[in-house]
Amino acid sequence: MTCQEVQDWTVAYLELDLDASCVREVTAHLEGCPSCRAEMEAVRQVLVRLKGRTVTDPGERFWSEFPAGVHRQLRDAQGKEGSPPGPSPRRRVRNHIPLRAWPLALAASVMLVAGIWLLASRLGPPNEGPAPNGQTVVQAPVKGLPDPPDLVEADWPGAWYEDPDTILVEMASSLDRRTVDRLFGEI
Amino acid sequence: MEESDNQLLDRYAAGDESAFEELVRRHQRTIYDLAYRMLENHADAADLAQKTFVQAFLHHRTFRRASSFRTWLFQIGLNLCRNALRGRVRVPHEDVEDVILQAPQDTFATAAAAELQDRLGHAIRGLPPRQREALVLRVYHDQAFADIGAIMSCSEGTAKANYHHAVHNLRRVLVEGKGKP
Repeated sequence: MTCQEVQDWTVAYLELDLDASCVREVTAHLEGCPSCRAEMEAVRQVLVRLKGRTVTDPGERFWSEFPAGVHRQLRDAQGKEGSPPGPSPRRRVRNHIPLRAWPLALAASVMLVAGIWLLASRLGPPNEGPAPNGQTVVQAPVKGLPDPPDLVEADWPGAWYEDPDTILVEMASSLDRRTVDRLFGEI
Repeated sequence: MEESDNQLLDRYAAGDESAFEELVRRHQRTIYDLAYRMLENHADAADLAQKTFVQAFLHHRTFRRASSFRTWLFQIGLNLCRNALRGRVRVPHEDVEDVILQAPQDTFATAAAAELQDRLGHAIRGLPPRQREALVLRVYHDQAFADIGAIMSCSEGTAKANYHHAVHNLRRVLVEGKGKP
């Protein structure tokens, strides 16, 4: 093994990054070559000095506040990019509703849809519309109710046939009180 | 048994904020150390370390887990360091408080050691960027050359060559007293 080969392998030798046969050859060469031994020692000194360079610890207060700082910057960046990290929006909603409340939430949603449908049917469907066979159907006005006012001239608060709140109270009163309390109390 | 980084990431993805804090606490010192050794002042290192985590959490869904979370953080951190160094118009400085904290006691031996460390610091700053990165990752973070290659987006052999050139350059500057590496 030549001096040049040994000097090319100095770092690998010191880093124990050579296979066993190479280590034996380099070691044998070093025993009989003072200049390569000096070179090896010089490189070793560099590595020792490098390892000795420490970074000043900024202190426990810095470390304890560090995650909160990251969190603040993350929220700012999230606001700019418009894509929140962590769970997807759908998953966020799922996480906030406990599993046992899902049936109740579903029941409440069904009641709400039914209520809106009932309200819409009470206010009256459109008078005219195309029939499935293409003929125009003219619906007779509901008995006992006045003709709806013109859209522009209507006095809207007085134009409701019935107060929507009254309808909702009627719907609620048709249910068992305990059921209503249980449904809405737990959501 | 301690949860793995990937388990913590799964928990974070499911909305558990405590997993976020645990991951930051676990790696904050490592990333700060990397940033400090590349930028050489506390304010820049602290800022860059925070940005590294922000980028990681903003884009955590793109982390494919082919490497470790730590390796991924190193990649992000080094990219940010490169950008920061590129944007610098003057030689990196040391904070006054850092200099005071690191000032040696007034003895001949410590003064000589400090002078040597100063020369070493100067020599490290003068290394080509890739050599400096390989040196920092190997000497201060004990990364295997395969991992250094993954972090620096090069082969293991290239990472090894960069490291060897860095050490030999420093040796030349320190022992032979030749100017910049």
